[in-house]
Amino acid sequence: MALSSDSSTSRDSREKITIRNVSRSYESTDALANVSFSVAEGEFCCVVGPSGCGKTTLLRAIAGLDNPDGGSILVGGDPVTGPGLDRGMVFQEYALFPWRTVRGNIRFGLDRPACDCPDCEARVQELIDLVGLDGFEDAYPKELSGGMKQRVGIARALAPDPEILLMDEPFGSVDARTRDRLHAELLDIWTQTGQTVVFVTHDIDEAVTLADRVIVMDADPGTVQSTFPIDLERPRERTARDFVDHVAQIRDELGSPVDTNH
Amino acid sequence: MSTRTDTSSNAVVAGNFEGDLWRYLRGLGGLFAFLLVWWVGAMTTQPSYLVPGPLDSVRAFIDLFATSTTIVVPVLGSSLVLPTGLAHLSQTLFHYVPGLLLGATCGVGLGLAMGWNGALDDWLRPLVRVLRPIPPLAWIVFAIVWFGIHHTGAAFIVFVGAFWINFYGAYGGVEGVSTELTDAASTLGVERDLSMLKLVALPSAAPQVLTGFRTSIGRCWMIVVGAELFGAPGVGYEIINASNNLAMATSVAYMFLISLAFLCMDVGFRLLERRVLAWR
Repeated sequence: MALSSDSSTSRDSREKITIRNVSRSYESTDALANVSFSVAEGEFCCVVGPSGCGKTTLLRAIAGLDNPDGGSILVGGDPVTGPGLDRGMVFQEYALFPWRTVRGNIRFGLDRPACDCPDCEARVQELIDLVGLDGFEDAYPKELSGGMKQRVGIARALAPDPEILLMDEPFGSVDARTRDRLHAELLDIWTQTGQTVVFVTHDIDEAVTLADRVIVMDADPGTVQSTFPIDLERPRERTARDFVDHVAQIRDELGSPVDTNH
Repeated sequence: MSTRTDTSSNAVVAGNFEGDLWRYLRGLGGLFAFLLVWWVGAMTTQPSYLVPGPLDSVRAFIDLFATSTTIVVPVLGSSLVLPTGLAHLSQTLFHYVPGLLLGATCGVGLGLAMGWNGALDDWLRPLVRVLRPIPPLAWIVFAIVWFGIHHTGAAFIVFVGAFWINFYGAYGGVEGVSTELTDAASTLGVERDLSMLKLVALPSAAPQVLTGFRTSIGRCWMIVVGAELFGAPGVGYEIINASNNLAMATSVAYMFLISLAFLCMDVGFRLLERRVLAWR
């Protein structure tokens, strides 16, 4: 019985990322305790939770930047042993190389090993167009606003054409209007590329705007509390009743008091 | 983009013009005040060689370029006739430049290696702690017994001075490389340690490496003059040589010459630095 249901789920949606009983502790705290879930190929998955729930640790473990103490992480069926070009990462504070121009940053992942093929040049230009940075090709990061920096960060992660895009609170430091625009652009890119996305955020609205499925984590120790499929048409209207209901549900789950002012 | 930069720099020029003018005027005022004090001091001090006056010093400075001196180019062995000031300056540069460049190269090399490789750092840190505090000029005794106090000996002293300053520039720079950047590079396919050093650590440490080098330009002028006071040929030797003849104005003229040479190198290097670090 259990066997057949297992095989039926894997037939419906192929698992791209499988996280099994992953634990990670630092000196005194359990950042992750026995975390298990999986992400289907092409799925947009958001992970929300209070700070300290280990969501960033989890993302870094998938990226291969952090080694869990226990459990296993499989990507496309193979265990993660380190970082790889199949997983692109977008960082909260951009992590752009300040000595490289926009073009140079986007090109970084294409140059391993170094190459000067015309294809690469065209690919860089294509990405610059995709994230709307025409005219800023030769600007250094210090000349860009936060939103533009993160566009570079996204283009840079996309350049080697990864199957998985890992995003660590990527829009946490941009203003609300820019964030809305970046959400729309990110969804466009995701629709075009069909990548699997794991997006970490503490903003429930953001998670419900973007995700196919929201995974709610709890802190101390970091565990998966519950998951919420978001079955809403995109683009999603934040004032729509369904949207508000989803947000309220997740907020209840997180245990923070619902705003009582209205 | 270009318009944005243009307007902002125009605004800056318009807004700061008056402030800049005042700053220059104050600077000039300071210089004139100093000249006045110097002049009065020279006028009132007896015997006159204790404080040579500004005018005598300027005259001595001009004299440095009115006479000529023959020097021997080391390694090549050929002789060269140059205005006296330039001749002695060249003699200094014959040991200053190789000492500085070799010292900087070795210092940066070891600094990068130790800053990047934890095991090497463990091995060498105590040794560095012991050797570092020895003032470069203290090595003069070994410079003398190993190389003799000529170009090679003086270059060795400069080497020691340049080595440590550049070592710390590179060491600190590489140690301060942000893990966020190395993480980003790992997710973008940088696997080998050496590639990480080349692609991330070195460019990110470049500002400190260059600051280290610029500091060593100045420090090595102090050191080279020190080495020459012991007898190596060059401007430092000429300072003491002139004073032995009580030609103190000539000593001051050589001091000017050192200041001028340092200023040229410093300004030149700052321009280069600004170009290389345009991204900052």
